[in-house]
Amino acid sequence: MTSQDERGARGRDGAIAVKPSAPPRFDVGGLIRRPETGALIGTVGVLVFFSIVGGRTFLSSAGVSSWLNVAAELGIIALPVGLLMIAGELDLSVGSVLAASSMTTSIVSGNWGMPVFVGILSGLALGLLVGAANGLVVTRTRVPSFVVTLATNFSVAGITLALAIALTGSTSSSLSAGEPAKTLLGSLIGGQFEVAVIWWALAVAVVGWLLHVSKYGNWIFAIGGDLESARTMGIPINGVKIALYMSSALGAALVGVIQAILYNGAQVAAGQAFVFNSIIAVVIGGVLLTGGYGSVVGIVMGTLTFAIVNQGIYFSGWDANLASLILGLMLLAAVLMNNTFRRMALSYSPKSKPVEQGRR
Amino acid sequence: MSFTTKRWASLGALAFTAALVAGACNSGTPSTAPVSAAASEAPASQAASQGPASAAASGGAASTAPSSAPTQAAGGGTGKAPNIFVVGGKADDPFWSRVKRGAEDAGMIVKAEGGSVTWLAPANYNNLGPDAAKLLQTALSQNPGAVVGPDWVPDAEDAAFEAIVAAKVPLIVYNSGYLAAAQKVGALNYVGSDDNVAGATAGKYLASHGFKHALCVNDFPGASFAEARCGGIKQGMTSAGAQYTELPLPSSDYGNQTAVSQAVKAAILKDPTIDVIMTLGVSDEPAVQSAIDQANARSTVKAATFDMDTTTLQDVKSGKLLFTIDQQPYMQGFLAVSMLNQYVQWGLTMPQQPVLTGPAIVDASGVDAALAGAAAGTR
Repeated sequence: MTSQDERGARGRDGAIAVKPSAPPRFDVGGLIRRPETGALIGTVGVLVFFSIVGGRTFLSSAGVSSWLNVAAELGIIALPVGLLMIAGELDLSVGSVLAASSMTTSIVSGNWGMPVFVGILSGLALGLLVGAANGLVVTRTRVPSFVVTLATNFSVAGITLALAIALTGSTSSSLSAGEPAKTLLGSLIGGQFEVAVIWWALAVAVVGWLLHVSKYGNWIFAIGGDLESARTMGIPINGVKIALYMSSALGAALVGVIQAILYNGAQVAAGQAFVFNSIIAVVIGGVLLTGGYGSVVGIVMGTLTFAIVNQGIYFSGWDANLASLILGLMLLAAVLMNNTFRRMALSYSPKSKPVEQGRR
Repeated sequence: MSFTTKRWASLGALAFTAALVAGACNSGTPSTAPVSAAASEAPASQAASQGPASAAASGGAASTAPSSAPTQAAGGGTGKAPNIFVVGGKADDPFWSRVKRGAEDAGMIVKAEGGSVTWLAPANYNNLGPDAAKLLQTALSQNPGAVVGPDWVPDAEDAAFEAIVAAKVPLIVYNSGYLAAAQKVGALNYVGSDDNVAGATAGKYLASHGFKHALCVNDFPGASFAEARCGGIKQGMTSAGAQYTELPLPSSDYGNQTAVSQAVKAAILKDPTIDVIMTLGVSDEPAVQSAIDQANARSTVKAATFDMDTTTLQDVKSGKLLFTIDQQPYMQGFLAVSMLNQYVQWGLTMPQQPVLTGPAIVDASGVDAALAGAAAGTR
């Protein structure tokens, strides 16, 4: 009963990617008003820019893999973090979860010599556990998720450190993963592209279906758009939020496992850069910090933009001391552009869809 | 968090404030180690493993003259083991866990003789100078028998050091600041390494082994330890007629091995004359190994690093890494605490000033002993 209405609401917000019932008619105005358009222009813009500045090496497979590898790992975390942000919540604990899961995998299979799949499952299970804890605390206490997950980020880092020292006497651990695991998680395709790129593609497909096709997507938009309405419509808000926190922690844990296997070991202090980088990628991708608005295509574009800018600088031959400045300016430009396109998207009034006039 | 939108910058500031509060609470009631205190948004493990060194990096010239200038007269020869307070870095920092282990091992003797050793560390490295100064004040307020502290940020910490000396508490400056900083505040001695000397030693080693162009991967641009290390390599290489390039990484890459790896790959693809890569700490070393593989340059590009852990030592053993530079952090904690214990009880002093604990180059010839020490958590 809710599905049809919510789908309409989402369509009006412009956040739906494909509307099966709509006639496939090309419409420039409609394209410009799609929420991903700003993010797409940003990605194409920086790609063209660095292709010109970076020259032939940037477009070679070594150059492309340079930013695609960075994007893939960031993307695996940014996708579920993006879902959470659409639902109006934040997850600042991904950094520590990444470090904790990579240390877990490395200690279990490296220091203790257990089969590598046991280590991988332990790492992922640890992620799910932290995610469930985040979700439970956020939904039960109503403390803002910013504070809850910040606290988790600190706590998990502390536990990881204390356990690592207690169990191994060291703050790093080395691991040499056996063959099926190495190929599936930590190898380089053609000596260049991380397998993480494929995992990212899978994650895009799954999350895309979840957000834009399944009814759960409607629930997520509804929770982020108007929590009280979502509640009165009977959406299991707490369940959805806990599931979302578990998925973002699972994403972080997966990247932790991938890095542990790819780089043959783990370190306690890894991962913190992902906390802000994932949020940045999601925001460049056009997701509103206040929730209720965004798309998977946008998040993917935001992740690519971030990675291209971050890595492109090394191919440009410019003074690398300026990297942070260039990154900052480009991010600001991307978000300003997104705001423009979002305003256009939200001003769109469909000619043949007079439903949901009261929303927003 | 230097490059987000305004909104996120302010949220970052909030997180930072929260971290500060945590730090303040920690310094209020000193525990033995801040293990429960957490990593921050911008963990600066290496920044504090060396800490911002004083600008006056006075070289490693050890003057062997008997100590005359900076000696603290009172406090020596009490015959009673002191309560020693040691200010240091976070225990999740591979480097500082060794320093702490050294201090604790020396502390066993202190304890057996009736004294104690207490480790004080900041919750994070976001506000290093003021936090360290606060910890030094905390140490002084406990009526210590002796104090050990790193002079990471002389401007922020010197007043606290001077207060300790003024209270006639024997003081040793270690790890950062070098002898000049130690003498300025009136400490007994300086125990530690000299990053510039270590860098120059590495540069000379590389040049003498036939390398023509070194790349220094600077993951902490602006921190003086990083500038001193890269600067030393530059001196060592260029004075032997070889080339030198620096690769500064933005903070958005910190702690992300893939980002570091791809940056290094880009650098060696862009300049094929680079034949050796130096990293400033162990955390970036696996990323560099992967970058060399991805650039398909295993035969033309070698790697070496500052500091060490089990992974790097195994890489030295297997030949993937030329060498690691050990500043022997265990010795910093062990010697500083031992020297103070002996000084307070029996008035014993060392004639060497400063007491240098490094650099020691660990290459294939010395790697087995180092591996045994690493397994024990001492190297």
